[in-house]
Amino acid sequence: MLKVLTRVFFDPALQKKKGFLRSLLLFKDLKDQELGVLAHALHSRTYHMGETLFMEGDIGRALFILESGKVDLSRRDGSGKERRIYPVEPGGFFGEMALLEQLPRTASAIAAERSHVYLLYRSKLDALLHDHPRIGASIMRHLAELLSARLRQSDAAVSGSLERA
Amino acid sequence: MAATLGAAFYALYHVLIPFLLGCAIAYIANPMVSYFEVRGLRREVTVIGLYTAIIVAAVMLAGTGFDIAMAELAELQADLPYYVEKLKGLRQALHARISQPLPVLGRTVQWDVHWDAKLSAASLLERVQDLPSYLLGVVPILSLLLLVPFISFFLMVDGPRSIGRMIQSCPSRYVEQVLHLISEIDTSLGNYLRGLIVIAAAITVTSFIGLLALGVDQALAIALLSGLSSFVPYLGAIVGALVGGLMAAFQFGTAAAGLKVVALFIGIRLADEFLLQPYIARHSVHLHPLVFLFTFMVGGEMFGFIGLLFAVPAACVIKALTGVLWAWYSSEARLQVPDSFDASVVPYT
Repeated sequence: MLKVLTRVFFDPALQKKKGFLRSLLLFKDLKDQELGVLAHALHSRTYHMGETLFMEGDIGRALFILESGKVDLSRRDGSGKERRIYPVEPGGFFGEMALLEQLPRTASAIAAERSHVYLLYRSKLDALLHDHPRIGASIMRHLAELLSARLRQSDAAVSGSLERA
Repeated sequence: MAATLGAAFYALYHVLIPFLLGCAIAYIANPMVSYFEVRGLRREVTVIGLYTAIIVAAVMLAGTGFDIAMAELAELQADLPYYVEKLKGLRQALHARISQPLPVLGRTVQWDVHWDAKLSAASLLERVQDLPSYLLGVVPILSLLLLVPFISFFLMVDGPRSIGRMIQSCPSRYVEQVLHLISEIDTSLGNYLRGLIVIAAAITVTSFIGLLALGVDQALAIALLSGLSSFVPYLGAIVGALVGGLMAAFQFGTAAAGLKVVALFIGIRLADEFLLQPYIARHSVHLHPLVFLFTFMVGGEMFGFIGLLFAVPAACVIKALTGVLWAWYSSEARLQVPDSFDASVVPYT
């Protein structure tokens, strides 16, 4: 009886979406209800194989979170040829710099197979920071940690190549 | 293309009115539905619950409101001859005062107001014969009252799914631009519309309490009129002050009583301006007062009262659309260099 009532009154799709979001590092500190608020703020879209999510040089305005499928990130080299730089797997996210600054994208993103993606639009994050500061602050903190880790990695890579030279 | 759409809209706007009102209601009520949706409840269940609560509240309020309205109507019926006598006295006094310096005006203008109970009853009977035509005139309003909640129910249930479908059907590379546009419209329009509701409710309640405190007859009717008029910005307080002021002046027979009501509505307007507006308009649309005036004039001229209601929302959409299109064009054409943080000085530590 309780199961039937739960199925009638509660949305299983939201539970599934919250479960997925909970598994991501970026949202790991959020409580159940906060995940509901976040899930409500996200837009979703399914991309078919070969569809372009964004192009290098486009002004970025959203963070992309890959729920299923595969997305290739590529960048043009000196000769103008596209070079694949990173394949994004389910649970991965990309385009996060758009949440911090509206600058041209530094890479292109193309769906390598049928992919389902969530989009966190910058103004939605601003709204979260204003209306639900705990959620916004938690996302920003994890984003800052991620960027700091990437900066350390690139720092180490530059130092390594300088030493080798 | 835009001109064709505009012409089609103008031609069909009578048909579109219930849909526009339904959209507006669904849009305004969306945060309420979302409140329960983020807590895990199905959207359909929340909307059905909301409608049930509204129907129950409406039935309960209708009982009380009906009693007050009937009491006010009976009061008006009893006081009408008194008001007419007052008006007659006032006009005669005015006539006497004007006839001395301007005898021509005194002769040419009809100054007397006649109130004959028998004559009025006969006239009333004649009017009763026209009742079927009056009732037929009410049919469009009744159909709106039934149709608008019906449309808004489906729009509320559908909710963000329609935006999802739009995002899914737009070309993949332009998803961010479409989201940008939706977000800009939502930011300015949503706050504006919800702000209007808050202001209308606040004006209705405060003016009702104020008019009751001043002992003015027909307090509920004047407060409702003032609240409804406030959907057109600045109009609510003006209508309230005018109608309430005249009513009080007639009722108490002094200009001071009318001025008290005017002062009440000035106070309500100032409270709205300094207490409510800073909170409501913080993220709302920022239009120049002349643009406000222009949109009202265009809306009123083209679509009457409905045009006045939707003038500012339409201006919000047009403003957001042009802003987003310009930002898009300027970034594509590299007309603007995006702002970036100057990180060239301090090394990473």
